[in-house]
Amino acid sequence: MNASATSALERRPSLRYRRRYLTNLLGWTFYGVFFAVLAFALLDIIAVVLKHGIPAISLELFTKPTNGVSGGLLNAIIGTFLLTFGSLLLAAPVGILGGIYVAEYTASPFARAARYLSDVLVGVPSIVFGLFGYLAMVTWLGWHFSLLAGCITLALMIIPYILRTTELAFRGVVSELREAAYALGASHAKVTLKVILRACRGRVLTGVLLAMAISMGETAPLIYTVNWSNYVWGGHLTHEPVGYLTYVVWSFINEPFDSAHALAYAAALLVTVFVLVITTSTRLLLSRLDTHKPH
Amino acid sequence: MDPLLPVATPPSNPDGGDFFGKSRSHSGGMRRSTDVFGILVATSAGIVPLVILALLAFLLYNAWPALHFNGWGFLTGNSWNLGNQYGDLVKVRGVEVLPGARFSILFLIFGTLASSVIALVLAIPIGVGAAVFLADAVPPRLRNSASLLVELLAAVPSVVFGLWGYVVLIPFTARHVYPLLGHVLAFIPFFGPPTYNGYGLLTSGIVLALMVVPLITANMREAIAATPAALREAGLSTGATRFEVVRKIVLPRLRLPLIGVSTLALGRALGETMAVLMVSGNAINGLPHNVYSPISTMAAFMVSQLDSALQDPSGMAVSSITEIGLILLVLSMAVNGIARLLVSRTQPR
Amino acid sequence: MFSPKSASMPKQSVSGKPSRKLRTVLLAAALVVAGSATAATTHLIETGSSLLYPLFNLWVPAWTANHPEVRIDTASTGSGTGIAQSIEGIAQFGASDAYLSDVQMKRNPGMLNIPVAISSQMINYNVPGLNDKHIKLDGPVIAGMYDGSIRYWDDARVKALNPGLALPHKTVVAVHRADGSGDTFMFTQFLSFSTPAWNQKVAYGTTVSWPSVPGAIGATGNPGMVTALANTPYSIAYVGVSFKNETDKAKLGEAMLKNRAGKFVLINARTVPAAAAAMVPKTPRDQRISMVYAPGEESYPIINYEYVIVKSVQPNAEAAKQMRDFLTWAVSPDGGNAPKFLDQVHFLPLPASARALTLAQIKEIH
Repeated sequence: MNASATSALERRPSLRYRRRYLTNLLGWTFYGVFFAVLAFALLDIIAVVLKHGIPAISLELFTKPTNGVSGGLLNAIIGTFLLTFGSLLLAAPVGILGGIYVAEYTASPFARAARYLSDVLVGVPSIVFGLFGYLAMVTWLGWHFSLLAGCITLALMIIPYILRTTELAFRGVVSELREAAYALGASHAKVTLKVILRACRGRVLTGVLLAMAISMGETAPLIYTVNWSNYVWGGHLTHEPVGYLTYVVWSFINEPFDSAHALAYAAALLVTVFVLVITTSTRLLLSRLDTHKPH
Repeated sequence: MDPLLPVATPPSNPDGGDFFGKSRSHSGGMRRSTDVFGILVATSAGIVPLVILALLAFLLYNAWPALHFNGWGFLTGNSWNLGNQYGDLVKVRGVEVLPGARFSILFLIFGTLASSVIALVLAIPIGVGAAVFLADAVPPRLRNSASLLVELLAAVPSVVFGLWGYVVLIPFTARHVYPLLGHVLAFIPFFGPPTYNGYGLLTSGIVLALMVVPLITANMREAIAATPAALREAGLSTGATRFEVVRKIVLPRLRLPLIGVSTLALGRALGETMAVLMVSGNAINGLPHNVYSPISTMAAFMVSQLDSALQDPSGMAVSSITEIGLILLVLSMAVNGIARLLVSRTQPR
Repeated sequence: MFSPKSASMPKQSVSGKPSRKLRTVLLAAALVVAGSATAATTHLIETGSSLLYPLFNLWVPAWTANHPEVRIDTASTGSGTGIAQSIEGIAQFGASDAYLSDVQMKRNPGMLNIPVAISSQMINYNVPGLNDKHIKLDGPVIAGMYDGSIRYWDDARVKALNPGLALPHKTVVAVHRADGSGDTFMFTQFLSFSTPAWNQKVAYGTTVSWPSVPGAIGATGNPGMVTALANTPYSIAYVGVSFKNETDKAKLGEAMLKNRAGKFVLINARTVPAAAAAMVPKTPRDQRISMVYAPGEESYPIINYEYVIVKSVQPNAEAAKQMRDFLTWAVSPDGGNAPKFLDQVHFLPLPASARALTLAQIKEIH
């Protein structure tokens, strides 16, 4: 490859010079423009959400539930947190333990299959999970629209994310640490949880945080599993629909009232801010981990 | 939209062992059958194949009547017709359905594939270009923050993308971009006017491109950074500029990883739901006439049509929606499965 | 009694319901946590029609303010979901712009179709220069625009209805609802009843198999329809009258429609009651009737009852009582049918004779 570059460059340097210079300049400009397009898209999305969302922010938003298509978003804010943390509560232990298995038993065909299938599962569209949740939990098990149906649906979606980040985190821990711990006679569980997990908990946490951001921003899997409620969650895991922020964005923008549009933009603002803050802090955590522990 | 999945970056096997870690000394100690902890972790990992099986089994079971009733024609026709909802049920091929019911989704398959392909055509050059820019042109001090700008794009929720498409992109493209494009590109088939109203194939492709491009940029940036310094230095020593080194030495080596990550991006674009629902125009029963035409995709159609499907007392409409879900599931698993194989095969050594 | 599942689920899955034991086990975990928080209030769920949703959102706060012992969730999910979930008992009130079919009634005996108000539908268009002119249209011409046989606004058949109007030679963009909708039901009934060819090819329903016409687009929800109209010159669409404020704000045109008697009419305080007056006496005891294309010189051709679909047998007597109380108030001229609620969404109250039938149906909830 570099051979062709070399010969091309050496043949007629003086004539080529201008063309090369121009090509280089043009190339870098193009690449810069591509980057600028992406950065602009993000900033414009944030700007639109801020522009329409900020005027809609009020104290009432955080203290009152939705009253028809006006009022506040207390019910949706609480619902979004319940769904997010509920799904994490279900997914994190399974994902972390599964990730430990896949990392520690790398040679086993079952672990390899589990890892590969996690990657495949990550690619399954969220609406497919939503349909599954509707058919399996809402109607077949008769749970009706409910927090539990939503949490399980989201959990199934995010387990593979947590599993794979945990696996990568575990594989990042140097073998010497592991061997030293075993040499001291520690049990398998103790070595894994007290020594290795502690050593890489930052990275495991980033996986959980990313999964949290995914849960928080999802809509499609929830429309037919959790539905919507104007009320703050009443404590029932089944047979009670729950409000959540992304529903407000999707549905209230379709109502003929200005108050509904204001709520939709306010909800979009809250979700976007939550998700971007989580993602940014994850990135910061990761880069801190990278600088502290280069491998 | 999902934030960037860290696994998308090829695992660099940090402890330097061989890829499958066969030589790990501790693994022998973990195989004891009395190891409760071992069983616990294995069971947890077992959830993943279980979920896949459950998805397949459940969708297959519920789609069975539709598979039987619709046959292969499901994939080749352009008719989503619930039949006469106020008529009496009739028996067709041994199944009770509404009179006139006929379900086929070629227009959805086409819309799904076409919008995803447009997304890739836009996302690959932009994603690679931005990756090169981030890796080679941005000063190291700013690199992380600049990369974050691109990567946060992946974290923006799908409905927010939809909202933005609806409020900003559609009015802007319909008024200023598409009429011009239709005029200038009229000689290319499918790019000529009429340019319609902004809802459609090209807009869906643009929004999808923005949603998948961070995946490409993040992976390619890491791959570029992982190129051995010796190669670059060799190139520079021949008198090549940095740009020429990137174009002629670095990028050609990354062709295979690019194919892998692009396939991954394809898988993501195929299943994207909310944003497409809000910008695609939700056309039904026909193929688009040009790139500006309204379309619909399988995922978006499932959300928009499940409600009316519930009104079919024979249950065939819900079953047919489930059949779409099943096809989408199998398609996305196949694309993603291939992508993962490519990604793991093509890690830079 | 038929299984309530049969209405919405494929038969196979009905027989495949998990055993009671399995369901108990699966629920056990849920109840451990949930049991502690059981409230004393009655919890009712309304879901369905996006056309009725704004009205329910006006009703519910007004009702629950004086009745703290009941809470009513409202959601806009579409008439199909409303009907299905009422049948399954997931929601107590299934809001729907369409009544249940004979098959649905036969499979689910004991379902009530309770009208709570009268709604109408506009045919709106965006033809620059003519939006304040009320272009005259009839069923066959609109059907032609939606099946592609009329491609241009200056088609001879449109011109024939509008002598002297300077119609432009521009392509008609027909906009339809992409989601299942009672609006589609009313609109396609109008086309079916007025145009035999449409009735044979497409017929009517909450979702129909739209003929594929180049450039025709689907929009989600009535606001999607309004936005699509506003953004698309030379488009035409059908929009629920609840959204009249929005169509006015967007300066869209509203077509004059030819009624069964051959007169061109607009929605107003005379034409909608005239159509209702013509149809209400024909309303059967179960109130399942289409009021579209009503006879009468002044009748507006696209009006309908807005229904709440309710299961007559409720699992718990307290809930049944709360439902009766709420619905009785909702249709009362001093309660939910008062102008202060209906005017905001441009609905009409139930005429007295229809209200009597509605009240009789409400009494059947137990």
